Amino acid sequence: MSPPAPGHALAQGTPLAAPRPGSGRTGRWLALASRHRVALTLAFLVVFPWIAPYQALAVNILVLGLYALGFNLLFGYTGLLSFGHAAFLGGGAYGSGIAIAHYGLHPALALVAGTLLATLIAAAMGVLAIRTRGIYFAMTTLALSMCVYYVFYRAESFTGGENGLRGINVPVLTLPGLRLDLLDPMVKYYAVLAVVGGAVWLFSRLLSSPFGAALEAIRENEGRAQACGYDVRRMKLVAFVISGALCGLAGALQAIHLSIVPIETMHYSTSGQAVMMALLGGMGTFFGPFIGAATFSLLQDGLATLTSHWQLFVGAIFIAFVLFLPLGIWGEVLARLRRTGW
Amino acid sequence: MTTGFDRRRLLQGSAAASALALAAPALLRSAAAQGGPIKIGFPVPLTGAFGAEANDQVRAAQLAIKEFNEAGGFQGRQAELLVRDDKLNPGEAAGRTLELIEKDKVNFLVGGLSAAVTLSINNVARERRVIYNSISQSDAINEAKDFGRTTFHEALNPHMTAGAVGRYVFPKSGKRVAFLSADYAYGHEMVRGFKRAGEASGIEVVADIRHPIGASDYSAFLPRIAALKPDVLCLCNFGRDQVVSIQQATEFGLKRNTKLVAPVLLFTSRKAGGEAFDGVIGGTSYYWRLEDTVPSAKAFNDRFRAAYNGAVPSDYGALGYAGVRSVLEGVKAAGSVETDKVVTAMEGLKADFYKGPQSFRKCDHQLVQSVLIVESKSKGLKTPDDVFTILGTEGPDERFLRGCDELGHKA
Repeated sequence: MSPPAPGHALAQGTPLAAPRPGSGRTGRWLALASRHRVALTLAFLVVFPWIAPYQALAVNILVLGLYALGFNLLFGYTGLLSFGHAAFLGGGAYGSGIAIAHYGLHPALALVAGTLLATLIAAAMGVLAIRTRGIYFAMTTLALSMCVYYVFYRAESFTGGENGLRGINVPVLTLPGLRLDLLDPMVKYYAVLAVVGGAVWLFSRLLSSPFGAALEAIRENEGRAQACGYDVRRMKLVAFVISGALCGLAGALQAIHLSIVPIETMHYSTSGQAVMMALLGGMGTFFGPFIGAATFSLLQDGLATLTSHWQLFVGAIFIAFVLFLPLGIWGEVLARLRRTGW
Repeated sequence: MTTGFDRRRLLQGSAAASALALAAPALLRSAAAQGGPIKIGFPVPLTGAFGAEANDQVRAAQLAIKEFNEAGGFQGRQAELLVRDDKLNPGEAAGRTLELIEKDKVNFLVGGLSAAVTLSINNVARERRVIYNSISQSDAINEAKDFGRTTFHEALNPHMTAGAVGRYVFPKSGKRVAFLSADYAYGHEMVRGFKRAGEASGIEVVADIRHPIGASDYSAFLPRIAALKPDVLCLCNFGRDQVVSIQQATEFGLKRNTKLVAPVLLFTSRKAGGEAFDGVIGGTSYYWRLEDTVPSAKAFNDRFRAAYNGAVPSDYGALGYAGVRSVLEGVKAAGSVETDKVVTAMEGLKADFYKGPQSFRKCDHQLVQSVLIVESKSKGLKTPDDVFTILGTEGPDERFLRGCDELGHKA
């Protein structure tokens, strides 16, 4: 089954049942593109460091893109707005950071450790949060994530508390038959991309599966999904945990990239950033999170270099986006392509 | 018919282009090594709670750059300052530091204005073997775990600051001491410094209360403290927390029986806090009235005034100047911009830039320097900036630092 055209339901305001090709040529192209969405996404990410202002920012965008992608599984595809995803990004970052800085684990194992820790946190939070709906769900996730924040803030001997965790130093990555110098920014970018690419592919597989379709069914009409015989609560929980795991992987990569984990990673403003990036790119679109992350980071970075009043401009631009591009940048692009043959 | 465009041409062209693209960084790097400008990266929190301090640091750092260039630079090479906004966020600071090192190819780094940020910059710079001279208070940066050969610490640390203030205040004001501190690393380190200094005069800690960082209401703590009637209350917090807690303690009438003490009495905080600060004693790395007794301070202030419409440098501002100047003097002394040689040169610097003699201790590259004890006042000011009286100076002495072995440095 080919996946539903992203953004379509939102553009039309109609329930999304099956992929409907648009008019003629455009529709064919779009169907083709969405069939090869992973390849296209990766193609963009492969050339991205050559157009980004500097590679460290490109790696940031990769990592934040994965973070927004994981968040989007819950937000865009299942229709659950969480305000607690910083707990997973932070859990992944601290998990891998502690594994490397305190126990000297191999970075590959550290990624697993970080993802596992985030998955555990997500499972614990999910069990409690899934019982609620709408704004209560958002508030519950926010409150629970702040509890997690506080636990990590207090566990100073492990996390460094206020000073953050330092010493996550991976100058060289040794894999069987491979020795990568991660201090070279280009090498680091492609090493991170290899992991992110794998996650993107998995994510795409998940969406194309019956499970993915069921999640969208829950988003469109929870009562009807229940009536169709789906165990809605369990599916939401599974989606919550997988979303947490993806964000945890993003956190684990971020820890290795920056070689530190600041406690701010777990702060609720970081959760807000995920919402912002997903909205900016286009909720419920496959490629939107990366566009959102790139727009978010490039705007902040560029404006902060120009003026110390960058917040004013970033805020104004975001408001403009939300007002005039309600589907997000990528969502809007798709909707327009679908409306008009070009 | 040919279109003047064939596949072979395209391939040749793109091969040449990609070869150039790949070679470009190498070409640029060799050009920089041969004598482009000497670049100093300067990440400071231009936005955030300490924007005013950070702007002052930039202005003072620019002054150090200007002096260096006017004196002819180094082998004809001029210095330039690359200012970046770290937004007071360690993650942002790490990203900006990567940018400065990888893209801008800076020779040195100076900056940072919070312990977490400074430790983050240091970790990134240390891994890439770039000299980083920190201008933020931190005890952790001296410890072996965070230290690298390229790490330098131009600022005071909590142990030195609280120690100097404690040694001055406890013998004079009494032994019953209460602490009210912000509950994070800075607060904890300051309390530890006071307690260490108090051992000699046998202080008795009657209360050790911690408040959440960014608290706006201290009424829950003040009655408890007042009931204990301590001789001294040490307020170990920073910035806005310091202003608000001192204002509320003053309104509460604590000053009748108790001497209020802040480990670091910031010039900018005092200007924001006004009269409430009267009689509060604290430490600082620099206060502009030092010019009355120290010639180098006079010279520095005069240059600053001339450059910035008669303004005087603040304490943290002065650190921006000193931090950059230490590195540039290191370059001159080493006769090179190579990291190893500059490190060795900086270790050997015995200088008097702006506040009297200063030098780096070899084991942890902490700057051994004087600490000023100042008292806040609001009456009989010579100028609006004349807000402190200098009560005393604890001269530079390694005895006032924690020992190298305690910090984990192997002799």
